[in-house]
Amino acid sequence: MDPYYLFVTAVSLASIYGLLAIGISIIWSSLGMINLAQGFTFTVSGYGAWLVAQNVSTNGFVVVLGGVITGALAGALTGLLAFIPLYDKPNFPLRSLIATLAISLMGGQFLLWLFTPRVKALPKIFGVGSIHIGPATVSHDKIGSIVCSAILLLLTLAWMKGSRRGLEIRAMMQNPEGAALVGVGLRSTAMAVMMVTGAMAGLAAVLLSQTYFISPFAGTTPLVKGMVVALAGGLGSVAGAVIAAVLIGFVEAFTAVQLGGQYVLITQFLFIIAVLLVRPRGIAGMIEHSRE
Amino acid sequence: MSDVLHVEDLSAGYGPLGVLHGVSLTVRAGERVGIVGLNGHGKSTLLRAVAGLTGWQSGSIKLNGVEIGGTRSQGPGRYTHKIVRMGLALVPQGDALFHGLSVADHLDSGAYTRRAWRERKQRREHVLEIFPPLQKLLNQPVGKLSGGERRMVSLGRGLMDDARLLLIDEPSLGLAPKISNGLMQALMQIDIKEGAMVIAEQNLSLLEGKVSRLIGLHAGKLKGGALAPDLPVSELVHHAGHPHPHH
Repeated sequence: MDPYYLFVTAVSLASIYGLLAIGISIIWSSLGMINLAQGFTFTVSGYGAWLVAQNVSTNGFVVVLGGVITGALAGALTGLLAFIPLYDKPNFPLRSLIATLAISLMGGQFLLWLFTPRVKALPKIFGVGSIHIGPATVSHDKIGSIVCSAILLLLTLAWMKGSRRGLEIRAMMQNPEGAALVGVGLRSTAMAVMMVTGAMAGLAAVLLSQTYFISPFAGTTPLVKGMVVALAGGLGSVAGAVIAAVLIGFVEAFTAVQLGGQYVLITQFLFIIAVLLVRPRGIAGMIEHSRE
Repeated sequence: MSDVLHVEDLSAGYGPLGVLHGVSLTVRAGERVGIVGLNGHGKSTLLRAVAGLTGWQSGSIKLNGVEIGGTRSQGPGRYTHKIVRMGLALVPQGDALFHGLSVADHLDSGAYTRRAWRERKQRREHVLEIFPPLQKLLNQPVGKLSGGERRMVSLGRGLMDDARLLLIDEPSLGLAPKISNGLMQALMQIDIKEGAMVIAEQNLSLLEGKVSRLIGLHAGKLKGGALAPDLPVSELVHHAGHPHPHH
């Protein structure tokens, strides 16, 4: 076993799952909604990028942009259908959970009808081949995944930290009433959250489609893994999600190399069960003392 | 138009519970008004109704002459951000802080207009002059602060924008007498300019002689000052059913 290969595979998987998990985590803590439609957003974004590649340009940047914009739009659609009409109704967490599940299922069928079950492939936006970094050999799509995710993640974090809108989202994550008292509109902020997290899922879709094909239900497995990472990291914590993504990425890469790909889901779920047995609030319980 | 707040026939409550029963009052520009009364008699509900945070409410509330009240049976807080943007700052009981965010973030969050956001550094300095102990705590998460410091953060947040009406709910709640006295003094030093300040307080002695007018609130109805501005305090206390102050 090549430890460098293992490491690079783990980090590139971590960057993709991390994008989904951070989205799920931010939506949960700011809107109080478990977004099961994140997988649908992921799938639609793959098709969006594919349509752009077919009709507009196969330039890597344009294809990524197509996926990201489609993701933001799908996120906005989810917000319009599952959050805006429901958020002030009783039992909102359960209602929105079912609404997003419905969007996910209906969306999948719609894509099946529209694009047929035949799988699609995106162009290799990072080219084919590999480069050598020290003793390690890294394929282009892996390094591309890591770099692109890191860029989007850093941009998002800088935006959350430095802009008024970012401050509003962080405020809403901590205390919705306090946020309203400093002039934060719940609905417009919620739509901003849905679009940003949708864009993250869109980028994840383009990146993962460098390895896997696009199909109407391609988002299911990434959704489950994003959920696992978000839970293991501690819902609501970006730092926790990043750490959990790296750990889950390692579990997946290690399992695939040592035991074979068919055991990946088993070891991942064993891992999250172990984490949640020890830390019921997820990994972030260790670092964020202020969450009470 | 010099009425900052004009409330007429306001009733409000939560679910089946009616707390306020036909309250009317006017707060003019430049006034500091104290609302006194026992726990559970509607002080907080009155302030929360102005911010649109009660479970339900009916009756007219005018902020700077603009109607923000009306009848509403659900959706508490739905319009709060809009009312806030029209010039209201409410410092609620429990402070409604963001526990993981720093003191600096809290102050910045209070600067919601474009102009205030641009000037947030200067405005922060101004707030720190009023509450000097916050200077050293700027980068601390609020979850680690003491009760008095948290109250200062919550008040400071309300002072970051150009609110014309400042509503402060029980500033002394849960604080040691010495600290609440200091806090009350700081509140009296704030320059309210063309605006007004309403302080709801259970501890009458903290407000006596400091505010322009005292109003008693008993069983969801106003007593005293709302109608007769110069009612002697002893009379008011009698009307409001208030016990003799402990401190």
